[in-house]
Amino acid sequence: MKKHYIIFAGLVMVGILYPQMFPGYLSVAITLLLYAGWATAWDILGGWAGQVSLGHASFVGLGAYFVAVGTAHHEIAPWWSILMALVAAAMLAYLWGRLTFKLKGPYFTLSTIAIAEIFRLIAINEGWLTGGATGVFIMTLPEPFGLDLFSRQVNYYLALAFAAITVLVVMLISCSKFGYQLRAVREDEDSAMASGINPTTVKLKAFMLSGALTALGGGIYAIFLSFIEPHIIFYLLLSVQIALTAIIGGRGTIWGPCVGALLIVGSGEIFRTTFAEANMLIYGLLIMVVVIFMPRGIVGEPARYLIRRVYAKRAQG
Amino acid sequence: MFDYVSFLQNLSNGVLIGGVYALIGVGLTLVFGVMKIINFAHGDFVILGMYCAVLLNSLLGWDPYLSLLVAMPLGFVAGALLQRLVLSRLMEAPPESSLLVTLGLALVIGNILLLTFGAEPKSVNVSYASSTVSLGEVSFSMILLLAGLATMVVIAGLYTVLNHTELGRAIRATADNRLGAELVGINTRWIEAVVFGIGMALAVTAGVVLIPLLFATPTFSGAIFTLKAFVVTVLGGLGNIGAAIAGGLLLGVVEVMGASYLTSDYRDAYGLLVFLLILLLRPEGLFGKTVKRV
Repeated sequence: MKKHYIIFAGLVMVGILYPQMFPGYLSVAITLLLYAGWATAWDILGGWAGQVSLGHASFVGLGAYFVAVGTAHHEIAPWWSILMALVAAAMLAYLWGRLTFKLKGPYFTLSTIAIAEIFRLIAINEGWLTGGATGVFIMTLPEPFGLDLFSRQVNYYLALAFAAITVLVVMLISCSKFGYQLRAVREDEDSAMASGINPTTVKLKAFMLSGALTALGGGIYAIFLSFIEPHIIFYLLLSVQIALTAIIGGRGTIWGPCVGALLIVGSGEIFRTTFAEANMLIYGLLIMVVVIFMPRGIVGEPARYLIRRVYAKRAQG
Repeated sequence: MFDYVSFLQNLSNGVLIGGVYALIGVGLTLVFGVMKIINFAHGDFVILGMYCAVLLNSLLGWDPYLSLLVAMPLGFVAGALLQRLVLSRLMEAPPESSLLVTLGLALVIGNILLLTFGAEPKSVNVSYASSTVSLGEVSFSMILLLAGLATMVVIAGLYTVLNHTELGRAIRATADNRLGAELVGINTRWIEAVVFGIGMALAVTAGVVLIPLLFATPTFSGAIFTLKAFVVTVLGGLGNIGAAIAGGLLLGVVEVMGASYLTSDYRDAYGLLVFLLILLLRPEGLFGKTVKRV
C-alpha cells in the first residue's frame, strides 16, 4: 500500500509541474485528468462493487448543470453550486440505487441506460429548468483570490485536484473495511450476506460516493467548456466512454482507470486526424480486445500475475 | 368529443410500426433465449441493413425490397461468422463480458459506417413513398403497409422454421436445456452460430424495411434501435418469441398514442418508462411465466 502512496505523490508532483513544461498542451491534459477522475469514480461502483453502470453521464450532467445554471441564471458562485450538486448527486444515487439494485448483472446495466436516457430527454425538453436543447452559456464567473476561472491554467489545476481526490478516495477505500465489503459483495452477494454484510447498503454507499465524485468532475467540466449542451453531456456515449475507460484499464484496481484514460485520450490525440469524428472506433476495438484477451484489464492482468507469483514463492517457503 | 377516425389512424400506424419493432425484438430475444447473451450491437445491425439498402439503391438502383434478397443472406453469414470468431470465445465468461464485447462491436460498426458514408443522413427515394391506401376514412401509408407485410412474412417464416423443422427443434431444445440437447446429439455450438445468424438477418431485414421511412445515420440511431429492441423484449420477457411480437406491437402503439395524445417531446421516454416499470415490477415480462421466488 505504501508503494501506491509513493506513486501517487510522484504523479501529483508531475501533475503540478506539467503546465510549466508543456504550456501548449493543457486542453488535452484537462480532458485526460477529467476522464481519469470520472473513470476512477465510476470504478467505485462498477469495479469495486461490480455493478456495471452505463448511466454515469447523468451525474456529469447534474454537476455541469448545477454550475452552469447556477452562474448563468441564479448568480450562485460555482463552489456553492458544486457543493449542492454533490448533495443532489448523492441523493439521486440513493434513490436510483434503491429502485434498481434488486436487478442483477446485465439487467442493472440496462436499467441505468433507460434512466439516463430519461434524464437526457428531461434536460432537452424542460427549458425553464435547464435552458432546453440549445444549452447554457457561462458568461461570467467570480474571481476567487484573483484567479480567473476561465483560464486554462486554473482549469488544469481544478481537473488535477479532481483526479487526485478521486484516486485518493479509492486508495483509502481499497484497504478499509468498506473496501473489503465491496469486494465481498462483488464476488458473491449470498456469501457476503452470510458473513453479516448488507449488500444493498454497501452498494448504495458505493453508488452515492461514485455519483457525487462524478458530479464534482461534471461541475469542473462545465467551467472548462463554459458552454454545455444536453445532447452531449447527458448522452449515452459519454456514459459508455466513462465505463469503457475504467474497464479497459482494469476494473477494481487503483491505477487501472487512470491508465485507461491515458491510453484512450492519448490514442485519441494520435488518431485525431486519421479518424476525425469516428474516434469511438478506438474504444470499440480496445474493449473487444481487452474483454476477450485480458478480461481483468490492462493493469488488472499483470497485477494478478505478480500477486500469484508472490503467493507461489511464499508457498514454496 | 372523442375523435374515432384519428384514434383508428393512430392505432393502425402504431400497430404497423410496432410490427417492425417486433421484428427487431424477435432477433434479440431469440439470441438471448439460446445463447443467454444480451446483444448490444443489435441496433447497429439494423443500421447496417439500412446502409445495405442505400448502397444497393445508389449503385444499382435497386428497390429496397429487392435488396432484401442480398441483405438477408449476407446478414445471416456475417452473424454466424461473428458468433464463431468472436462471441464463442466468451461462453464461459461472466455475463457482462458478452455485453461489453457487443457494445464494442456496436461502436466499431457505427464508426466504420461513419468513416465510409459520412455523417449526413441517407435515405432511399421510392416512387410509392407518399401513396396511401384508404379504408373508409382511415388511410394507411403504403410504406408502412409494406413494412407490416414484410414483417408478417418474415415472422411467419421464422415460426415455421422453429416449429416445423428439425433445425427448429434443435434450436428450441438448445434454448430449453443446453446440456440435455448436447446429450441427444445436437451440436449446440453450431446451433448458436445459426441462431446468431438468424438474429442478425432479422435485424438487417428490419433495417431494409425501415429505410423508405427513416433516414439512416451512422452513429446515433444504432443505440436507439438497441434500446427499442430491449424495451420490446423486456416487455414480453427475454427469450420468449411470441411475447416479443406482442411487446413490439405494444411499444409501437404506446409511442404513437403517447406522442399524439400526450406530448411528442417525450416520444422516446414513454417506451423507456414502461421498460423500467416492467423491469422493476415484473422482471419475467408481461407475458412471461411467473416464477415463484424462494
